[in-house]
Amino acid sequence: MAIRELKVCLLGDTGVGKSSIVCRFVQDHFDHNISPTIGASFLTKTVPCGNELHKFLIWDTAGQERFHSLAPMYYRGSAAAVIVYDITKLDSFQTLKKWVKELKEHGPEDIVVAIAGNKNDLGDIREVPTKDAKEFAESIAAIFIETSARNAVNVEELFQSISRQIPPLENTDVDSNESFKITRQPLPSARRCC
Amino acid sequence: MELGSGANSQRDREVCVGDGKLCCERRVVVFRSSGVLCPTIAESPGSSTQRSRQNASMAADASVKPCQMDRSGSFFKLIDTFSTEISELKQEMVQTVREPDTKLLQGLEGEVSGLFLQSSVCTGAAGVRDSGYDSLRRRMSVLDRLTHTHPVWLLLQLNDEEAKHILQPQPPGTFLVRRSCKLQKKVISLRMDADSVPVTVRDFPVIESQYTFSLEGSGISFADLFRLVAFCCISRDVLPFTLKLPEAISAAKTTTDLEEVAKLGIGFWDSKLFQKKKSSVTDGSAVQQRVKQAVQRTSLGDNLTPVPRTRTPSQLECSQSNGALCFINPLFLQTHCSEPASTETDTSAASGENCALSQSSSSSTQGKSHTRPQSILRRAISAEHTRNKGINREKSLSRSPPPRPPPPRTILRRPAIPVKQKSMPETGVSWIKMPQEKTGLLGRLSSSFSSLSPSSSPPKKISSPIPMPSCHGKRAPSMPDAGAQLCHLALEDQIIEQAVSQSLAKQALRNAAMESRSPAEEGSPVGRERLSDISISTSSSDSLDYTHSFTLPAAASPARADSSLEEEEEEEEEDDGVGVESDQELSMEPPFKPKKRHSAGTFVLPRALKGHLRKVSDVFNSLMTPEKRAVKRIVEQSQNKGTYFGCLVQDYMSFMQENCSCHESGLELLQTVRQFMTQMKSYLLQSSELNPPIESLIPEDQIDQVLEKAMHKCILKPLKPVVEAALHNFQVSSGVWQQLKENLALAKTKQPQEMGVDGAMPPDPVAIEKIRHKFHNMSKMYSPEKKVSLLLRVCKLIYTIMEDNSGRMYGADDFLPMLTYVLAQCDMPELDTEIQYMMELLDPSLLHGEGGYYLTSAYGAMSLIKNFQEEQAARVLSSETRNTLHQWHRRRTAQRSTPSVDDFQNYLRVALQEPDSGCTAKTLQVRPYATTEEVCQLCAEKFKVHDPDDHALFLLTEDSTQQLAPDTHPQKIKAELHSRPQVQPFYFVYRRIQNLSLTAPADEFNGNSVPI
Repeated sequence: MAIRELKVCLLGDTGVGKSSIVCRFVQDHFDHNISPTIGASFLTKTVPCGNELHKFLIWDTAGQERFHSLAPMYYRGSAAAVIVYDITKLDSFQTLKKWVKELKEHGPEDIVVAIAGNKNDLGDIREVPTKDAKEFAESIAAIFIETSARNAVNVEELFQSISRQIPPLENTDVDSNESFKITRQPLPSARRCC
Repeated sequence: MELGSGANSQRDREVCVGDGKLCCERRVVVFRSSGVLCPTIAESPGSSTQRSRQNASMAADASVKPCQMDRSGSFFKLIDTFSTEISELKQEMVQTVREPDTKLLQGLEGEVSGLFLQSSVCTGAAGVRDSGYDSLRRRMSVLDRLTHTHPVWLLLQLNDEEAKHILQPQPPGTFLVRRSCKLQKKVISLRMDADSVPVTVRDFPVIESQYTFSLEGSGISFADLFRLVAFCCISRDVLPFTLKLPEAISAAKTTTDLEEVAKLGIGFWDSKLFQKKKSSVTDGSAVQQRVKQAVQRTSLGDNLTPVPRTRTPSQLECSQSNGALCFINPLFLQTHCSEPASTETDTSAASGENCALSQSSSSSTQGKSHTRPQSILRRAISAEHTRNKGINREKSLSRSPPPRPPPPRTILRRPAIPVKQKSMPETGVSWIKMPQEKTGLLGRLSSSFSSLSPSSSPPKKISSPIPMPSCHGKRAPSMPDAGAQLCHLALEDQIIEQAVSQSLAKQALRNAAMESRSPAEEGSPVGRERLSDISISTSSSDSLDYTHSFTLPAAASPARADSSLEEEEEEEEEDDGVGVESDQELSMEPPFKPKKRHSAGTFVLPRALKGHLRKVSDVFNSLMTPEKRAVKRIVEQSQNKGTYFGCLVQDYMSFMQENCSCHESGLELLQTVRQFMTQMKSYLLQSSELNPPIESLIPEDQIDQVLEKAMHKCILKPLKPVVEAALHNFQVSSGVWQQLKENLALAKTKQPQEMGVDGAMPPDPVAIEKIRHKFHNMSKMYSPEKKVSLLLRVCKLIYTIMEDNSGRMYGADDFLPMLTYVLAQCDMPELDTEIQYMMELLDPSLLHGEGGYYLTSAYGAMSLIKNFQEEQAARVLSSETRNTLHQWHRRRTAQRSTPSVDDFQNYLRVALQEPDSGCTAKTLQVRPYATTEEVCQLCAEKFKVHDPDDHALFLLTEDSTQQLAPDTHPQKIKAELHSRPQVQPFYFVYRRIQNLSLTAPADEFNGNSVPI
């Protein structure tokens, strides 16, 4: 099966649980193919999708304002961006809107945007209504899902829906060529063991 | 078995100098490194002594009944007996041209390099008489034949139809290797036999994985395509039958013949040569006849009953030393053993002897393992002979070097495994008996040795082959063959007996062997491949001449701890040698580890021998992995101005060295370097200058990485100092350096919290010092990938410190501020250019991975520090930095398009010749389609010529001078000259027109200008 490497960028305010979501995604379901990375800021996970394997190369970003200006380096070349907000913090939803705007202006053209409302388990102190977030997501044709990294709710689904939005490589001929090219330059991270 | 052998030993006797022990150790190295196969032994005076002693004792043992020997008899008595034996033998033997053995006393280095660099330049030498014996001995292995003639059978571009067209009229077994578009794989297209009608040609896909090649469905993998094909010529494995080389190739006696065939390329299949040879296939029996005769003649009265047999490749070629194969699946051994039993109509004893004979006569190194003690003498002689042969080879090489010596390889020197497969079970019986015989033998020998003189014992001390203990246990489960098992049991016994009967010094060496044991034990199953080595070197103990060989267990595991050889290689490679390998937990390039596991090149050397190996650096050539060999070859080519690629690289080098500061910025400089590397990579892929094509050596999915590595080595390595200095100068002149230093100093005073660290524990000063040290090592590397791997180690360390103190996982929210803090604490302004270097030069395909991520983070952290003061005020980065980042992204993505061939030719070396001051040469940037007129203008400008009208551009070759017309294109002329089959040195010279009458002697230029 062809392996496609997909760079996924994680955006969102600090403390909304960006890395928790990814850690959950990568660590659940023990995967023999998993190649350990040196730290949680960069993680990889391979999931099957149709007749392809999608290897997510997940780039975490620092959410603090002072690092905001570095974000373009992280989201360049991304196939998808996951913008995370905290359903218990309205501010984080505002930040999310800024990220969406920035991606539209400066991000890669065909980037798949997914909006994740994290900390779903804290519904009783919710500040961002699901309905608002959902409407916003629809207005920008983004994936929307509420997750709970703590309880492992919808984390897998988040990445599955991203996988589905990645257009498959077209005809079989191109497919074989493409897949060849892709596997031909495996990223070093793939097999690093520390 | 040549006349030479006798004389040698006679002469040897006279040369009795040197520390015997040392010599022996050296020889150990040589033997081993040559895979015990090609005993072109380094002849230092001392070692000759040793050898003659051994020969003597062997002679004594083999022919003179040891009991008749006066045990306390003198050494010279022994020698005399020996020389008598030799002279008797000489008369029996067919004499071949004897090479003067002046070379014998050559230095070790020379010998060794000769050994490895020539691979197998064989028989070619004119004047070698075909005495029948010669054809038996055919020194070219299948592998050699294949390597020389790849243009005939390795036709990657061929499509299904064309392959069918070629193979249809051929006899079954004829084959081609090509790349199937349908399968997107290389395939062996094989002409089937009548049984498989209607399919006349079938494709067998070749699986390429992590540095190995194998046939689909087969468990046997090889280091390269040539070995795979060579193996299939000898054993059918998963094929319906073995591959057959066209007669013109399999019957060729000299490399010249093969080259002639190779020249035809695909045209061979239609050529007369091919037709002719085809028709003469039936005459093949003549060869066999001669072979048979030779066997009889050389059998020295053995009870050999020669039976006419079909010549199977394994009987002739594969017994040749060089048909080395690796990665043999032991399962195969079993199936294969049973198979040829029917063709070997002989009694097992006779055929066993047969095998041994053909082996000992051709590559005596092997023979010894199976033959009985009686034949020891013969082996000793043939050993001598083989040595001479090796020298002959060297000689013949120096006379007429082959156009492209096949790559030096260890495996090449390894025993031909198929022979093993066949002969092992057959000789199994005698093997089992052997230990007893040998005990006596060894006992006698050792006593006779000790009686000679105290100082004569060294040979014995070292003589124990290092046992390969792991093999037994390892192999047992997968090799159910009882006979083979017994063999190994016998071997083990033997080892033990030896251990008992031999001296203390030997014990020491044994200890060394023990050391090497553990890695082998942990080894992956690939270790089994050593079956042949093991049995050979172990059993070889009965023949003292070979006892110097020891087995380096194939370190199947990465075995870092013990792999100081590797370290050394790394150092060699990086030669700014930082001992980084010692604590290398992560390797940037994924193929590294698997490669090590698979490759035949990885040996773990007993520590005791390391020192010696160091001395013979050339030995490494043969221990190299396919990747290393390919890299090495490309690097060599890059230094050879005779190739177009070499010219491009060298021109670029000199251009950069002269004009590094001409670039607008450090960034631009790095970009041009990166672009050049990318261009060279695609040039190497597109052109046919790499010979044999890299596709045949390296699996397709690894090629890019290998090329990238080679580019680092041949371009970045020499340029690193220049580039570094230029980058620094740019920083200083633009004021960035000063600003960076100030800001770093300021940032260093800040608390972690002020840098955005929240919660996690920052590294203490000790850890910071450790990190600084790692960064320092990083800056010594020239390879951006190595640098990045060191950067990753720093990041890993930071994570460890953070996590150790809290036990939780940290994402970028915590990591990036911490990295910024750490960089500030390190206070190393030079890191800025380091990061720039990595970011611009790293292989673009690595940018999305982990290395790319942390590099980006480091870059980000560094820009935060650079703008620290501003940030304090504005809390945002300047939009300028932001733009830079955007540009960087665009650039790096845009660069991935394939450059056109035109780009390769942007440099031209021109010499200014002045009557009074000789020549000065400059490399100029000249577009491919620039006219001579334009080049003249450029020259006038660069050379500061005041009267450009009186000057013109000339093309100088060895015997002609030609003024170039203003409308010609020098770059095109250069390309044209380079594309000629025989590239003559030529120079572009800019000089006064009046000078025309004085044709400058070519010599004058040699000193001052560089060929273009």
